[in-house]
Amino acid sequence: MSEPPTPAPATPAARIEAVLLVSPRPVSEAALKSAAGLSDSELRDAMGLLGERYSPRESGIVLRRVAGGYQLATNPVCASAVERFREESRPAPLSNAAHEVLSCALYLGPLTRAEISAARGVNSDAVVRGLIERGLLAETGSDRESPGAPALLDVTDEFLAATGATSREDFAPLDSLVGPEELARVRERVGAAETGSEQEPATPEES
Amino acid sequence: MKPSAVKPSAVNPSAVQSAGAPGRSLADFTVELDVYSGPYEWLLALIMKDELEIFEIPLRELVETYLTSHGSGERPHSLERDTDFVSSAASLVLLKSRTLSPIFDAEPEAEEEALTPDQLAEKLTGYLRIRRGAESLRERFAANAGFYPTAQTVQPRPGRLKIRTERLEAAARRALSRIVEPPVRHLGPITVTVQELAALIRTSLARGPVSFEVLVRDMDRLHSAVAFAAALSLAHEGRLRLLQTEPLGPLTLEAPA
Repeated sequence: MSEPPTPAPATPAARIEAVLLVSPRPVSEAALKSAAGLSDSELRDAMGLLGERYSPRESGIVLRRVAGGYQLATNPVCASAVERFREESRPAPLSNAAHEVLSCALYLGPLTRAEISAARGVNSDAVVRGLIERGLLAETGSDRESPGAPALLDVTDEFLAATGATSREDFAPLDSLVGPEELARVRERVGAAETGSEQEPATPEES
Repeated sequence: MKPSAVKPSAVNPSAVQSAGAPGRSLADFTVELDVYSGPYEWLLALIMKDELEIFEIPLRELVETYLTSHGSGERPHSLERDTDFVSSAASLVLLKSRTLSPIFDAEPEAEEEALTPDQLAEKLTGYLRIRRGAESLRERFAANAGFYPTAQTVQPRPGRLKIRTERLEAAARRALSRIVEPPVRHLGPITVTVQELAALIRTSLARGPVSFEVLVRDMDRLHSAVAFAAALSLAHEGRLRLLQTEPLGPLTLEAPA
């Protein structure tokens, strides 16, 4: 009786593919190398191969680079089929208030609930609660210098994945979001003194 | 910058709640807004529970929706329904106007009076930047919607679980941050048991039917509550009958036949 054929050893790309398949969260390069036993160059070659295999033009699964790692996810063009299969609708879009709270946490965070409310000029506790429940915001520490050591809030990896960002550096700097003319108009309307050119917001290139 | 908010509770909620009162004349009125889609009564409930911010509700569009449904061939609105809608919509207008106006909050007003034009400009420009950041986030969320990662989770083998302390701490923070301890300061020490008051009720019943009001006349609130629990317990065991001719009417306790 002949011996059963020995399976060929898995290629680096196959090992990475398997690890990514079972991870619901983005996996960092270090974790991939450790799990699949690869060197830097092997990882680079394997990711290039997988990038071609999971091209959005041909595959229902795409390879994303988000939240400091890699993630296999369904192609958005197939989203309606996935939603019909799961019998669920796409999550409701966030409200304007929720986007503002996330913007505070992203650009000014980590910060407390009171600081978010102060930045927006309106109590934001209910919005914060909803965002924590959706996993987009999390308490990451506490402000020990303030009375009661209130919790500090920051955006999560889920937030980065949901916005398609690898890290916070992927977002345009806060100062670049409003032009100097618009800021000057605001100052003019409230009767504030004109700021010098040295105080004008930095351009994206400068930041 | 937006002025400080006034909580919905600052407005007398009776008018808003009237839409959900017995009769439910607005039960079949549904609305389609950017921020909410569904029954009007639920919209009111979400606003009252602080789960929707009032300044995001386009009240004019809401009223137009109601008026349009009036003239679209559906059955004409009853006077009661129209009254309920006007009453609740007026409360929403009041609530929104108070939310957008800081005049009811004395301390922040005093603080704002102390702001110099430069400080005010600083706050306004800060808010403007946050607002622009929010707009760019909206676009990013929309552009990245529809990616679904694998739903499969592989259970780690016993003994092979690696726990990173910082992740554990973050998970504990997230879990514990949702817990809100109910206030119990108003509760005094509990000095009576259900058994003690059940014995008292049985003794009273030996002399014939007794009114619950008479039974608890000299008791404080805690004793009254425990006496009611004891009466329910005895009734459940078939040792007495509870008689009440109308909801919230006088309650009489009598021994079973």
